[in-house]
Amino acid sequence: MDKLLTLWQGSGLYNLEVGQAVMVVVGLLLLYLAIYKKFEPLLLVPIGFGGILANIPEAGLALSALDQAIDVGRPVLLEQIASALGGSLDSQANIESWRTSLQQMMANGASAEQLATAKALAEGAGYGDGLLYMFYTVAITSGIAPLIIFMGVGAMTDFGPLLANPRTLFLGAAAQFGIFATLFGAVLLSSMGWMDFSLNQAAAIGIIGGADGPTSIYVSSVLAPELLGAIAVAAYAYMALVPLIQPPIMRLLTSKKEREITMTQLRPVSKLEKIVFPLLLLILVALFLPDASPLLGMFCFGNLMRECGVVERLSDTAQNSLINIVTIMLGLAVGSKLMADSFLAVETLGIMALGIVAFGIGTTAGVLMAKLMNLVSKMPINPLIGAAGVSAVPMAARVANKVGLESNPHNFLLMHAMGPNVAGVIGSAVAAGVMIKYLG
Amino acid sequence: MQDPELLQEGLGLMALGMGFVFVFLAILVFTLTLMSGIIRRFQPTPAPVASGDSAKPKSPAKNQDDETLAVISAAVHRYRSKRRR
Repeated sequence: MDKLLTLWQGSGLYNLEVGQAVMVVVGLLLLYLAIYKKFEPLLLVPIGFGGILANIPEAGLALSALDQAIDVGRPVLLEQIASALGGSLDSQANIESWRTSLQQMMANGASAEQLATAKALAEGAGYGDGLLYMFYTVAITSGIAPLIIFMGVGAMTDFGPLLANPRTLFLGAAAQFGIFATLFGAVLLSSMGWMDFSLNQAAAIGIIGGADGPTSIYVSSVLAPELLGAIAVAAYAYMALVPLIQPPIMRLLTSKKEREITMTQLRPVSKLEKIVFPLLLLILVALFLPDASPLLGMFCFGNLMRECGVVERLSDTAQNSLINIVTIMLGLAVGSKLMADSFLAVETLGIMALGIVAFGIGTTAGVLMAKLMNLVSKMPINPLIGAAGVSAVPMAARVANKVGLESNPHNFLLMHAMGPNVAGVIGSAVAAGVMIKYLG
Repeated sequence: MQDPELLQEGLGLMALGMGFVFVFLAILVFTLTLMSGIIRRFQPTPAPVASGDSAKPKSPAKNQDDETLAVISAAVHRYRSKRRR
């Protein structure tokens, strides 16, 4: 009978907390969106599944060895850990309150040495880092996964349209207003006492407006790792929603006549120009904003591999197999941040709301900038391509093309929209560099 | 951190960040134009558009060509980008 009881107490059903159950449902919802609605399936499938794995009770897949030991360890071990952390446990209290007080000890003011001793104790007792925790450490804490993805994106990006019409870079710059307006919005919400975001967290939330998954993950892993799960989910979910969010804003801000503007054919761009471009960008980054060099450096490297034409194999690996491998690891690692106690908070709702506002403002700023440029420049510019300034390559450019075709079925804006689109990638990486410089 | 201070700092970061992004991309536009100019001067592209704006009257046949080219390149691009993500 005793053994039966132990088995029951070790079961998931016995240990399932309400929060975990809710998060499993959230994970299933993400899987549903990915599989049936085709919302960025490449990322939402691993993220959703990782989220479910992270919330399996007692398994502790997303926890470090120490967290796990505290979560499920025996009383003797807990006492040892407490003394290693330089505290003591109230012998009258029950074991659950021991666990909470140990977590508090770890959260406030345990030195690195104490933590190391406690970790050694936990490992000695047979607890190891959880699978997802390891993925997270390797892929995100080290910062490597978003950067490798950025390299792959660089290897996939053709800068031809941008080089043919460099002024579209301004559209990419304008659309980054979404990032900073959202940052200010987050700060405003916390100063009004509705939410509680620090400046670092506000900056990490703002980056959602850059509509660039790897950049968002990179910035939040540097500035606000505790919000990473919510930020990554918001960024990818809204990127998938670009075709729904953008067109109403674009139609609202432009007249039918403006949408019908045909743009002049782009000039052909020589191979040499395409090879020089990544090097030029790299030099500018090195000179003016070294903090953006991890992101833009990898981006330029990927692009150089693509354009130089002598390392086909490397370029092929960077844009196919490597980016796929890293995407799996990145998705699972982000999923590990979907744990109930950190994800189920008012802040998550705030992040979701601010994220969609960020997209809206970015689109608006891009379109308005394009209208302004159309007024002052000799070459006609269709305001719709301004909306492609939020990165989301190549979705946003396709949306601009589609809305343009609705007004004039012979007006193909796709190549013109690719210019601001890739400019948006550079713009959001620069914005990320500024934030990290200012706050990091 | 005091609330008004936080708000001020947010505003500061917004102005600084936005300003920097614009300045950086403006420099990029400038250097790109310069670079393209130099390269096209010393290594003229074989394409018919050698100088910036040629005032040649376009024949209807050429217009047709341009349009076909645009359509084809759009289609190729769409096909490629579909395979990408």
